[in-house]
Amino acid sequence: MTACPMHAMAATRRWAVLAFLMTATVGAATWGATPEETIAGGARRVVKLYGAGGVRGLEAYQTGILVSPQGHIVTVLSTVLDSDGIDCVLDDGRRYPATLLGADPRRELAVLSIAGEELPFYELPPSDPPPAGEAGKPAAGVSVGTRVFALSNLFGVAVGDERVSAQHGVVAAIVPLEARRGAHEAPYRGDVYILDCTTSNPGSAGGALVDWRGRLVGMLGKELRATATGVWLNYALPIDEVARGYRNVLGAGSELSPPTPDPDGLPYDVALLGIVLVPDLLDKTPPFVESIRDGSSAARAGLRADDLLVAVNGRSVASRAAVQQALAGLADGDPVRVAVIRDGSIVECDLGPKPQAGRKP
Amino acid sequence: MRRMAGHPLGTGRAIGVAWLIALLAVALSSVSPAADDIDGVGLQEEAVFRAAAAAVAPAVVRVEVAGVSEVGLGGPAEASPASGPSSGLVVGAEGWVVATSFAVPKDATQAVVTLPGGVRHVARVTGRDLARGLVLLKIDLPAGTPPLPVMEAVPRAMLSVGQGTLVLGRAWSASEPSVGVGILSATNRAWGRAVQTDASVSPANYGGALVDLEGRVIGVLAPLPAETAGMMAGTELYDSGIGFAVPLEDILRVLPRLQAGETLSPGIIGIGYASRDPFTAPPVVATCRADSPAGRAGMRVGDTIVEAGGQAVTRVAELKHAIAPLYAGDTLDLVVERGEARKRVAVRVELVAMLPPWRRPVLGLVPRRVGPDAAGNPEPAKLPEGDGEKPGVTVAWTWPDGPAARAGIVSGDRIVSVRQQPGEGGAEPASLDVSSPAILGGFLSGLDAGTVVDVAFDRGGEAKSIPVALAAQPTAVPIGVPTTEVDPATTAVERLGAAEIVRPAWAVLPAATAQAPLGVLVYCGQPAGVAGIKPSRAAEIDEALKREAERWRGAATRYGVAVVLPQSSDPQRWGREDIATLARTLDGLRLRRAIDPSRIAFAGSGAGGAFAWLAAEALGPAVRGVALLDATLPRQATISPTEPGRSRSVLIGSLPGAAVNRIDDDRRRLEAAGYPVGLLPDLAGDGLPTETLCSWVESLGVL
Repeated sequence: MTACPMHAMAATRRWAVLAFLMTATVGAATWGATPEETIAGGARRVVKLYGAGGVRGLEAYQTGILVSPQGHIVTVLSTVLDSDGIDCVLDDGRRYPATLLGADPRRELAVLSIAGEELPFYELPPSDPPPAGEAGKPAAGVSVGTRVFALSNLFGVAVGDERVSAQHGVVAAIVPLEARRGAHEAPYRGDVYILDCTTSNPGSAGGALVDWRGRLVGMLGKELRATATGVWLNYALPIDEVARGYRNVLGAGSELSPPTPDPDGLPYDVALLGIVLVPDLLDKTPPFVESIRDGSSAARAGLRADDLLVAVNGRSVASRAAVQQALAGLADGDPVRVAVIRDGSIVECDLGPKPQAGRKP
Repeated sequence: MRRMAGHPLGTGRAIGVAWLIALLAVALSSVSPAADDIDGVGLQEEAVFRAAAAAVAPAVVRVEVAGVSEVGLGGPAEASPASGPSSGLVVGAEGWVVATSFAVPKDATQAVVTLPGGVRHVARVTGRDLARGLVLLKIDLPAGTPPLPVMEAVPRAMLSVGQGTLVLGRAWSASEPSVGVGILSATNRAWGRAVQTDASVSPANYGGALVDLEGRVIGVLAPLPAETAGMMAGTELYDSGIGFAVPLEDILRVLPRLQAGETLSPGIIGIGYASRDPFTAPPVVATCRADSPAGRAGMRVGDTIVEAGGQAVTRVAELKHAIAPLYAGDTLDLVVERGEARKRVAVRVELVAMLPPWRRPVLGLVPRRVGPDAAGNPEPAKLPEGDGEKPGVTVAWTWPDGPAARAGIVSGDRIVSVRQQPGEGGAEPASLDVSSPAILGGFLSGLDAGTVVDVAFDRGGEAKSIPVALAAQPTAVPIGVPTTEVDPATTAVERLGAAEIVRPAWAVLPAATAQAPLGVLVYCGQPAGVAGIKPSRAAEIDEALKREAERWRGAATRYGVAVVLPQSSDPQRWGREDIATLARTLDGLRLRRAIDPSRIAFAGSGAGGAFAWLAAEALGPAVRGVALLDATLPRQATISPTEPGRSRSVLIGSLPGAAVNRIDDDRRRLEAAGYPVGLLPDLAGDGLPTETLCSWVESLGVL
């Protein structure tokens, strides 16, 4: 083991910290609500929803969040709502029939309405149409490491006036949702909050994600598996996206969902770039270049046979299928940049604009 | 600070309030924009977490394999967790990174490492720690690159259960590490090789860091090696509140060896224990191979191990704690108690990575069939009394030209005891009363081919003894295996359904009694869709299977073998879920007929052959033979080396003009791993060699 420079650094850092401590005035901080108060306040605005299900072993319950004094509830669009009678039970045990007002299929968000009075609710942030390319960015104040409470009726264990269950954790990562349920890709592609607590449970979908200041910061998603790793995802839709979806459904400040490229359409033909990959015979075939067509943009960029593609525009590609998906996710004309392994080193190649499908390069 | 009481996070011993505030100060200066943003203990703790995470983040990298293919039994929709990005930890400033063998599997020689700045590097695999499931990678940093940051390791002795921990990974996003929070749940797990946390550990942060609240590294997050967790790779535990980390201190200790290119293997001493329960049973040696470290050190069957590495041991589990942290090449001092006098004998064993493949030694006699006893034990320790049977193993037939036949043992002889002839050094030879075929088999498994055994037997009331030299288990299917005279019309051909099985198997079931139980042959054909039947026509598939079953009726009856023809749940392919279905089907078979557990074999053709092998590996030593007809093993199929109590006879048959290279390759791999591999004659002509396969099942009982 060679000398560890960090040992010295760590020691120095500690002394600096102690010095800082001498002058820090911790007493000046303002104290907020206790965790107990935060959870109690959040749970009053969260409802238990009961609807269709039972067939094929699917649960018939989930969670919703009250977001307006008129009794509007946001929740996750799911088969639970495929029912004529959706039942909504409040924190205090009040029970109302709920009506489905509409849904935003891209965000898989639904809005319900109940005819209750004196309803506690969370005010959603104003949602101006997001600037181009900014869709799905997280709300201000939430970052990796933010402590959160998840409030939901997981496993349907809370009944009647029993309060929904509270879990605690932190926002583990903020990344675009690339997930599937069974063989179906999730339609939403914006950023989500990955959580370090297990919220991927029956009934959790539609629950509230609340920070330790008591602010609603997101809505818990449904049970999905990550496309890349196959692990179950514990995630929440950021509050700004919830607000956009809600207003989208109500038609106020109507936002047309920006057209998202569909990576699951027809597989993009990498041959348009002049790249011939090895035949796709295995469940996961590594994207080795078999040959490069003369005069193609790949040839001009210096790609060679036996190169192994590892990234397309920064996105990792471990298989032939992943290469096609990454290319399909780009718009025609977008610059294409690939990274390959050649002779034990990474080589970056610029392929120019992505050629339009149906045209020969 | 009233609100500190009853707080969900235990702050542990060393981290006093001073440290909390100190780290908070770091947070104030480096992360949070303003001091009045910090309002409440929970948020102050959040700042501590952020500070600790920020301190270690520069050493946490992203790791992806490149150029590794994947062939699974599962469908394409069933994403394997191993296929995605994972994490790694910098352990050397010149470009050394530790990751898990989960992220960089054994067939990968390189990986792509993305450093926190987003720059990708190719890293080569320099060393592996197979005992802890870790791999060391080396990036060749271009000249002028600053050294990578290396983190301080927390000494293992300073850890305490309940202290706050963070988990860091970089799989989700290359630009920012993912963070999870929890406490240290245990400081000694997986027989001493790991610590445990309740923070969220998953394939996304395997290889990442377990961090204490001071921003130091406790260990590298990893799934437990399979043999400790008793699971596929320990990955099933994510989201369960259980996560493991290999202490960084332990990794740094062996780092020079890994850097030098060594592969560190778990150390094996080469004994089997008398009991399967490690927590209640004393470590009594049940098998001990002569060519193992224990055998070379002079240990013997029957020895009780009472001391390991200077510590007293009274249970198998305690012995495992002493052995598991060691690597092949390490030595371990043991004290055993031997014989009636409980004489204490000191032995020193030098652990090895792998024992030479074990070739099952046999006398070349085939005992009469024995079924499971009423208590459900697979093989009775003693034959039931009062039914006229005397203790011993009665010879049904002898292998043509085998050791027993040449020595003069004949059908009807009843073996009552065996005794190893005195060897060199005047050591007391092992001797045993034989009360069941299983006990005789267990005795023989501890000996080597060539060993001479005195076999005492009863022939028509006369006691005799003959020396017999053991030979390796024969590979061919013998000619002239005795048959029964039973009328094939008495044999049932029926569906073998069970709860939750959507596509039940068909079975050919000859009559059986407790005294004459059946052998079992599971035959897996090509999936129906592949064989040309429209998968939508379930009734047609069922009908075809029934016709196929009829073809087995004659041979199954003559040799007393239950033949089971399972269906794949997906008509296009055999899948992993079919293995569980097959296990349930066999349970159902045991309810209908008495089964001889020493004569259970799987066979298959084409894709069904590959499935038969994987199913046999999954179901373990219970399966005594596998026949591969015109089939090749999946390239990634595991072929576990044989060891005493775990071997199986393999038959390979091919169509003329088949891919001979692949089949020869399989044969070499299997033989190298110690399996007896026989060849079936050409499968041309009427196709299925039902007669040969059923007589082979009978011959699997050879001892």
